Amino acid sequence: MTSSAPSSPHFTACVSRDQATFRCWWSEGSFHNLSQPGALRVFYRYKKNSPWKECPEYIHSNKECFFDSNHTTIWTSCCVQLRSHDNVTYFNTEHCFSVENIVRPDPPVAVNWTLLGVSPYGLHYDVIVTWDPPASADVSMGWMSLAYEVQYRRWNSSEWTVVEVQGGTQQTLYGLNVEEEYEVHIRSRMKAFTKFGGYSDSIFIQLANYPGRESIFPVALVLGILAVVILLMLLLFSQQQRLTLLLLPPVPTPKIKGIDSEMLKKGKFEELNFILSGGGMGSSCTPLFYQDEPLVDCIELDPLDPADTGDKGGQSSEAQRLIGGRQASGRPTVGGLSHTLSFCDEDDDSVVGDPPNQDALWTLLTTPSPSPTSALLLPGQPELKQGFPGGRDPDPSLAHDGAPRPQAWLNTDFYAQVSDVMPSGGVVLSPGQQLRAQESTAAREGQKEKEEEEPEQQFQLVVMAADPVGDGYTTDAMNWQTGVVNGYHTLPAESVGDVIAPSVAVKSAEDYQPSYILPDASPTPARYLPPVSDYTIVQEVDYQHSLILNPPPPQAPAHQCLPLHPLKPLTPMPVGYITPDLLGSITP
Amino acid sequence: GWSFAWLGALCLVLRTPTDTVRAAPICDNGQASCQVLSLADLFDRVIQHSSRMHGMSNDLHSQFEQYFLPSRNHISNRVNRNCHTSGILTPNGKENAQRLAGEELTEVILKLLWAWRDPLWHFHQSMAHHDDFNSFSSNKALVMGDLVHELRTGVEKVAEKMQNLGIISNLVNGLRSPEQLLPSPVRPQWSLMNDYDLLFCLRRDSNKVQSYLKILKCRIVPENDC
Repeated sequence: MTSSAPSSPHFTACVSRDQATFRCWWSEGSFHNLSQPGALRVFYRYKKNSPWKECPEYIHSNKECFFDSNHTTIWTSCCVQLRSHDNVTYFNTEHCFSVENIVRPDPPVAVNWTLLGVSPYGLHYDVIVTWDPPASADVSMGWMSLAYEVQYRRWNSSEWTVVEVQGGTQQTLYGLNVEEEYEVHIRSRMKAFTKFGGYSDSIFIQLANYPGRESIFPVALVLGILAVVILLMLLLFSQQQRLTLLLLPPVPTPKIKGIDSEMLKKGKFEELNFILSGGGMGSSCTPLFYQDEPLVDCIELDPLDPADTGDKGGQSSEAQRLIGGRQASGRPTVGGLSHTLSFCDEDDDSVVGDPPNQDALWTLLTTPSPSPTSALLLPGQPELKQGFPGGRDPDPSLAHDGAPRPQAWLNTDFYAQVSDVMPSGGVVLSPGQQLRAQESTAAREGQKEKEEEEPEQQFQLVVMAADPVGDGYTTDAMNWQTGVVNGYHTLPAESVGDVIAPSVAVKSAEDYQPSYILPDASPTPARYLPPVSDYTIVQEVDYQHSLILNPPPPQAPAHQCLPLHPLKPLTPMPVGYITPDLLGSITP
Repeated sequence: GWSFAWLGALCLVLRTPTDTVRAAPICDNGQASCQVLSLADLFDRVIQHSSRMHGMSNDLHSQFEQYFLPSRNHISNRVNRNCHTSGILTPNGKENAQRLAGEELTEVILKLLWAWRDPLWHFHQSMAHHDDFNSFSSNKALVMGDLVHELRTGVEKVAEKMQNLGIISNLVNGLRSPEQLLPSPVRPQWSLMNDYDLLFCLRRDSNKVQSYLKILKCRIVPENDC
């Protein structure tokens, strides 16, 4: 502590190096007459009541008083005092301290550095700086625990970078620039104390060898790899299509000719509905076909069904009316077929459990061979039975009575469009599909279609059956399931021959004889049924995931497109082929 | 010949070197999960603890100084700072401490540590009521109390182990009787100290404990550097 008086004699510093001894330096201030050695004396005491003792060892050249270990008491407050030679105290205040608080360790020794690593491009490098604790500090016994501070700077810079080192005698310096020289020095202090000692001698770090060549190699390697990668990418992009074909062979999607799959995907049900129900063709119910195979969607059933609306009121007369009505409209000839006729099937509860009495609205021709003279059978048409060539028994599912009953077609594959209906009751189906008819309940259950056995000229008649019962396959023949549309086969016109009416071969399960419906090459208006909607609307999906179909809404009353379930509201649902993603949009 | 070789090997194994610091099982009650620590390891642990205690007391003291007493120079050179542990005779230098016997040095350490149990608890209480002293320092005061307690327990274990190994004779005072350790006038004295003096004394005493422990270790567990 210094007094406010200018430059009176005072102690400049008291420092211990090893926590065992300490030194004090004084100055005479402005009292230059006291600068001679011995003019000022140092006295000290540790405890307040103990007497003042004089400095044990003077170093007058330095104006220093050295206290050796015998005269050093740690953890005790020590006060020193300057007195004049004649023992007159010049300063009232004493300079008091505790020895452990004035410890400033010596700087570390043997400072050295080693190269740790160089960056890949040779611009930066890391070094480890190592040193030893000062000899004066008894670190080995643990009397003093030292912490260090490493400072380094670029040779031409004025700012030091400071790194604190708590323990250990080494420190890594990162990111030094290769071309620059660095100066490093270290100082030490006691742990948990704040006073630093002096700086060590500076060392200079500079990377002598600039690794020029070695740094190029990784760069060249990286560039080469990049070039190869770019070439590969170019190759891939140029051959993208081929590779796509190779790696991801296209999965054949079901295709309904005449219907764009995009339309189905986009879910334009109204449009689809419209198209399928033949709305685009004007007054006829013919759907738009721009290909050879018309779609046979459904076959409207049974005019005699009491569940029907008033459209089909009667029995065979109704069917006849239907047939007649349909014949009245003209249709474009497609693929040798003059008409497209759709049969919309309906589920009839009343006929449940009554398989043998069911009338087949479906034409079912029982001729195994495509005979152009095969007649189509219509329910309620006694003459239909006569039309069977070879006297083959008609489909037992055909109605034996006059009442046309809907025939349960189970496991029907897909739609076959009935292009025409003969006045005799035969249904002319457009070629392309195979019909699978289940003629008996026993055979119906668990029957799987065998599409692969279909001969090309056979068709499949897709029966869209409303299944209000919804219990799928039962013993009841009336529970019809929707068939999966497999595909369409084009029946060449010449194979059909000149028939009265277009006929469609129905390939059923193994027990069943394929029915064959021949197309009618010369349609007459009287022969052909009025256009019925080719596709039924899937009205709902029951709990067994069977589609409950409804015929499309009638385009016009004259078109005789009878809904399957007129009582049910017709929702704009996609008719015809149901893709799985469309199925998901149909709420059961 | 085979049995002689076996006996010879057995003798070699059983003949313990002069190193008295061979690990002796601490857990005599047969606990399977008990970990056997050597005396050197125990010393290292308590010395680490004492370093931490000293560092924390230093932080507390400097924080207190900065926060409450900006005019440092005037205060820190006060001579008449009587710590409540001033009554405990402690060696005041390295040589003095080295000259002290192991038992005495251990006793001094334990005395110091016991003397700080109550004052630290009261200091934490008084710090908790200071609104302006930040809670961090108040928590540090609480941590200090725990540290001192743990250090004391550790030093007691070291002393017990040393006694078991026969390195030191039994301590004059029992290990767990603080009332015997402290001279009676010392006890109420700490309540008279103000907080700043208490921190100053704590810092000083923790430095003492750390240094004494190091000297003790260097003497008991001889290492190449000691």
